[in-house]
Amino acid sequence: GQDKVEIHHMDLKQGMTLKLKGKINDDANGFVINLGQSPGNLDLHFNPRFGEKTIVCNSQNGGRWEQEHRDDHVCFSPGTEIKLTVTLEEDEFQVKLPDGHQVKFPNRRKCSHLPYCCVEGGISLTSFKLD
Amino acid sequence: MASEILASNLNLKPGVCVRIVGDVLPDAKSFRLNLGKDHENLALHFNPRFDCFDDTNVIVCNSRQEGSWGAEQRETSFPFLPGSQVEVCFAFEGSHFTVRLPDGSEFKFPNRLNLDTINFLEANGDFKLRSVNFD
Repeated sequence: GQDKVEIHHMDLKQGMTLKLKGKINDDANGFVINLGQSPGNLDLHFNPRFGEKTIVCNSQNGGRWEQEHRDDHVCFSPGTEIKLTVTLEEDEFQVKLPDGHQVKFPNRRKCSHLPYCCVEGGISLTSFKLD
Repeated sequence: MASEILASNLNLKPGVCVRIVGDVLPDAKSFRLNLGKDHENLALHFNPRFDCFDDTNVIVCNSRQEGSWGAEQRETSFPFLPGSQVEVCFAFEGSHFTVRLPDGSEFKFPNRLNLDTINFLEANGDFKLRSVNFD
């Protein structure tokens, strides 16, 4: 599998959707998708935790974590292939899960452009698409 | 405007096919798709030139090791048009890459660096990347 895939200089703008596909590892306890300006400046940290049966979302400013949001809707299973979409709106991120459930997280810094993406933890990226 | 996108730590092994879809910009002169270890070590530099360095409608491929370019391989099949969406597939087959062009034609390029893993992917020049699949 992959340890940590990083994508730089992405052209994801407000109103656009990032579509990610990946295979969750058989022994995964969770995974992380980070979107932001750079590794320490994240506008969306999206972290499903299978053991805790929750999805933790947060943002990071200059390496400092901010206020966590939790959504106890987990529909991920180890060993499966999943598709996630993340839409960047002016006020919020909308993350659509494989079963259609939507997780919303505020766009705290009103960012209009996301150049950085990181996928890590128990998942191997198989596809990414900008729409 | 030229854009660049790069992905690192991909951990792609022989047998994988990297399928890239993107838009060739309307006024395209040239674009580049690079696969390898890092900026300085490219197993495959794929460079369609529409009008660049005195070249017209030719694909120039090369490798780069510790920053030094190898010998160019030129392909005269050129199924690219400015202002169109294209799909290019790079099948990593261990000893070589098989490149499939938008018209379905193929050519091979040797894995001169003998990389067993592709960790780095980059697109730049007059090309807007839309999607990447690792099949």
